[in-house]
Amino acid sequence: MAYKAVTIKAGKGGFGGPLTLVPTDTRNKVVSITGGGIHPIAAKIAEMTGCPAVDGFSTGVPDNEIMVAIVDCGGTARCGVYPKKRIFTVNVLPVGQTGPLARFITEDIYVSAVDESCISYADASAAAPKPSAGTPTNPATAPKTKAQAKEEIAKMNEGKEKNLATRIGIAIGGIVNKFYAAGRETIDITVKTILPFMAFVSMILGIISASGAGDVIANTISPIASTLPGMLIVSFICAIPFISPVLGPGAVIAQVVGTLLGVQIGLGNIPPQYALPALFAIDAQVGCDFIPVGMSLGEAEPETIELGVPAILYSRVITGPIAVLIAYVFSIGLYS
Amino acid sequence: METIAAFANGFMDLFRAGSETFIAWVTGIIPLVVIMMTAVNSLIKLIGEDRVNNVAEFATKYTVTRYTILPVLAVIFLCNPMCYTFGRFVEEKHKPAFYDAAVSFVHPVTGLFPHANGGELFVYMGIAAGITQLGLSLGDLAVRYFIVGVIVILIRGIVTDRIYAHMSSKK
Repeated sequence: MAYKAVTIKAGKGGFGGPLTLVPTDTRNKVVSITGGGIHPIAAKIAEMTGCPAVDGFSTGVPDNEIMVAIVDCGGTARCGVYPKKRIFTVNVLPVGQTGPLARFITEDIYVSAVDESCISYADASAAAPKPSAGTPTNPATAPKTKAQAKEEIAKMNEGKEKNLATRIGIAIGGIVNKFYAAGRETIDITVKTILPFMAFVSMILGIISASGAGDVIANTISPIASTLPGMLIVSFICAIPFISPVLGPGAVIAQVVGTLLGVQIGLGNIPPQYALPALFAIDAQVGCDFIPVGMSLGEAEPETIELGVPAILYSRVITGPIAVLIAYVFSIGLYS
Repeated sequence: METIAAFANGFMDLFRAGSETFIAWVTGIIPLVVIMMTAVNSLIKLIGEDRVNNVAEFATKYTVTRYTILPVLAVIFLCNPMCYTFGRFVEEKHKPAFYDAAVSFVHPVTGLFPHANGGELFVYMGIAAGITQLGLSLGDLAVRYFIVGVIVILIRGIVTDRIYAHMSSKK
C-alpha cells in the first residue's frame, strides 16, 4: 500500500501534538466527525496519507479502523471521547484540556487548532518504529519493566499480615480519598468549564446591555417567547434535521439563548411561567451533533449508527414541539 | 480632550456591565454548585458503579423503564458524556432510542443535579437567573423541569424506537 505517514502539529493557540500518524492496513480511516460532511482538514490528511476519508456522522466506523478522528468540538464531549479511547484526535478548534474528560486529553494523543499548514509529511526515520497505538517507546521493553516493578512490589508486601486497626484505617482513608477526589473533580470542572463560560457570556451580556442592543432583542425575542405558538415555531426550527446538528455543539447556542431569555424574564418582558416551555423550545436540538459518538459509546454497531442518526433527527421534528406542549401544560400554576 | 475622556468612559462602561454580571454569577451560583457537585460526586463514588449497573440491567427489560429509569440513572451517576455508555445494556435495536432519551435528559437534570452536566449549566441557569431576579424561588421550576424531562424522554424514546424500526424494516 502506498500509505504515507504525516506529522500534525498544533496551530496558533492550539494544544498538544505533534502527532505522527502512520496508517496501517487495518487502521487507515480518516474519520470526520464535524456535524456532517468531510471537513477540509480531514480531506487534506486523507489526501496526503492516501487513506480514505469517512464522514463519521453518517457512516459508522469501528474504533480499531480509525487512524485519526477529526472533530470540531468546542470543549465538552467529542474532544475527550476519542482521546479516552486512545484514538488520535485532531480538533480544528483551539481547545485545550477541558470538559469532563479533560484528563484524557494529552499531548501524545490530541492536537488542536489545526489548519492545513500544520500538516506535513513525516520523515521516514521518525515514522518507522512508531506503532499505531501511539506509544513512541518500544513495546517489547515497556511491559517487561512494568511486570518487574509489579513483582518487586509483591515481594515487598509478602509476609505482612494486616491487622484490624490497619484495615479500619485503610477503609477510612479510602472514603476520605473519595470525598477528596469528588472535590477535585468539581473544582476542575468549575475552573476549566464553568468559569470560562461565565466569563464569555457575561462579556456578551454586558456589551448587549450597555450598547443598547438589548432593546432590540427585547422587542424581537420577547413577543415570540411569551406565546405558545411562538415557542412551538422555535422548537420546530431547532429540530429541522439539517439545522439541529449545527446548533448542537457544546449546547453553546442553547446556553446563550437561555441566558438572553433569562434577562428578559428578569426584566418582566416575558412572564415567569413561560420559563418552563422555553427551556424545551430552545433545546429541541440537544445532542444532535453528537449522535454517532454517543451511540458508539453505547457500543452500537456501525449499521445501527448509520440508520440511528436520521431516525433521531426525524424524531426530533415530532418530539421537539410535543415537549414544548407538555411543558406548557405543566407550567400552569407555576409562579401565579 | 473631553471627547476622548468621554469615549474612554463609554468604552469602560461597556465592560463594567459585564463585570457586574460576572461577579453576581461567581458569588451567587458557583459556591452552591461547587458544594452540591462535591456532595453528589462523593455519594456516587461511595455507591460505586457496580450497584448502579445491576439496576441498569434490570431497567432495560421494559419499555417504560428503559426510557425513564435507565437514562435518568445513567445521567445522574455517569454524567455527560459517559452516560451514553449505558447503551451497552440495551439491545441493539433500541440503542438509537436510548441515546435520544439519555441526551435529552442532560439539561433537565441540571436543575436538581448540576454535577451531571457542569459544562452546560446555563441552558437552565440562564433562564433561572431571570426567575431569581424577580424574587421567585427556583425549587418549583427545577422540580417541574425534571418531571417534564422524564416524560419527554419517555415519549422521545418510544417515537425514535418506532421510526428506527420502520426505517430498518424498509432496508
